[in-house]
Amino acid sequence: MVLTCPVAMGSTTRRDGSSHLLSRRAVLRAGALLTLGGASVPLTGCDLLDREEPPRPDPLTPLFDEALRLAAGLRAAATAQPDLAGRLTPLAEAHEAHAAELAQLIGAALPSTTVTPDDPTGTPPGTPPADRAATLAALRKAERAGRDSATAACAAAPEDRAALLGSIAAARATHLEALR
Amino acid sequence: MNAESALAAALTAEYAAIWAYGPIGVRLAEAERKAAVEAEAAHRARRDALVVQLSTGGGTVPPDRPGYALPFPVTDRASALRLAVQVEERTAVFWRAVLPASAGAERDRALTALIDYAVRATRWRRSAGIAPLTVAFPGRPS
Repeated sequence: MVLTCPVAMGSTTRRDGSSHLLSRRAVLRAGALLTLGGASVPLTGCDLLDREEPPRPDPLTPLFDEALRLAAGLRAAATAQPDLAGRLTPLAEAHEAHAAELAQLIGAALPSTTVTPDDPTGTPPGTPPADRAATLAALRKAERAGRDSATAACAAAPEDRAALLGSIAAARATHLEALR
Repeated sequence: MNAESALAAALTAEYAAIWAYGPIGVRLAEAERKAAVEAEAAHRARRDALVVQLSTGGGTVPPDRPGYALPFPVTDRASALRLAVQVEERTAVFWRAVLPASAGAERDRALTALIDYAVRATRWRRSAGIAPLTVAFPGRPS
């Protein structure tokens, strides 16, 4: 995260008319310094942003991220191998539906840009069918890991989350079957 | 719902599932019949475990019935496969309902059942030629 303090734009204006470039440069330099400071010493040296400790991330955050990665991996594979799209797209949609429900539960925002899959199966479009087996094997591996992490999350969850997590674990297990 | 009533409801679902595999099995052949036999055995094993668990826990064991109404007539392979899909997906709903009412080993068992039946439903969908092979939220009541 990049933290910057508000910069007073008006104070850099000068009378001699050459102020525009200088003030922009000054603002940019100030911004760069603050950015560097923010990277090495987060949340310090910036009084305006001193707040209480940020809330701990929800324990389901990794599962939410994983759902997005699984969806992205399937979407990439479907693009690379259009003859598999009919099989892969419903699975990607299921992960996206899981991510949407998890986002609501943990108060996260769904990303507006594409998420990069963990294990990129997104080979370029027009990949020969010989690579299909490898693509499916990589997708199965990801679903298996996903099933196991959802199973663990369900076991550890409070009662109001157990049913959703159980469905997510079961869905990932059925994906593994559907990718055979 | 408390754990005992959720488990009792799951038991009634297992009774019905076991009953349904009778008319399903006779309409299938070879590998599909073998899969039906295995599925029925899984439901019988969970039924037996539930009967023991509920009776030793001093709870009420709901009785089996002599017969169950089928949602549609099973007259051929196609209708048998469709019923098998329904049986697995409906039984999964009852085990999913056990999850919030349970913890520890009991929740693990319920999740294993939910996953088992969801995967069997997907296999039956494949046999029946149903697309897609999966649903987004197995066990969620529709």
